[in-house]
Amino acid sequence: MTFILALILFVLVAGVLDARIPWVSDGKREQER
Amino acid sequence: MIAGHFGLAAAVKAREPRLPLWTLMLATAWLDILFVPLLLAGRESIENAPGFAPGYGSLLIHADYTHSLLGAVLLSILLGVVLGWRWGRRAALLIMAVAFSHWVLDLVVHRADMPILPGNAAHWPELGFGLWRIPALSAVAELALIVAGSTAYWRAARDAAIRAGRSSLMPAHVSGAFVLLAGLLVLFLDFEHLLP
Repeated sequence: MTFILALILFVLVAGVLDARIPWVSDGKREQER
Repeated sequence: MIAGHFGLAAAVKAREPRLPLWTLMLATAWLDILFVPLLLAGRESIENAPGFAPGYGSLLIHADYTHSLLGAVLLSILLGVVLGWRWGRRAALLIMAVAFSHWVLDLVVHRADMPILPGNAAHWPELGFGLWRIPALSAVAELALIVAGSTAYWRAARDAAIRAGRSSLMPAHVSGAFVLLAGLLVLFLDFEHLLP
């Protein structure tokens, strides 16, 4: 159960929160395209 | 070990910002994710180590397929190819490495219950340095992974937001704090054996 909870917290919730971080700036993203 | 694996993945994310965090978190847990259905199917098993009361680090884990050395290598390659291809070769290799890091960290804490070949086919000696025999020390090692990983992740997220010219750093602070607190919660639940 602890492992399942950890999966939910780290893969789902942390994954969603991480998606709000501008890791690759918009300019760089355009360059890559 | 549960939380420590995720701490390591957070540290890797700090060095490799192009990869979404969820891919690294999934990769670090990959061998255990596959262990669950095999456990339910009775192909792999868990028992309490002789002389140890049920609790943190008390287990002998017979994950003879998912946590064998060769099995872990093959499963890590599989995940890297399937999940990492869309971000390029470097990402695929990194995902393979993070997936295999699970085996390396487990090697440190497990008692000698990790075979070299799947199913321990050749009956060679099983591997494991057994840090779990000293639960407090094992927990401290996990705690160090969580704190170091979440701190590196938070700093990288904050710096990325600054570079991007964002007026608010709150998303970076929230993400960093969440990874740290989730790691501490999972370690606490694991150590205190509060969930089955």
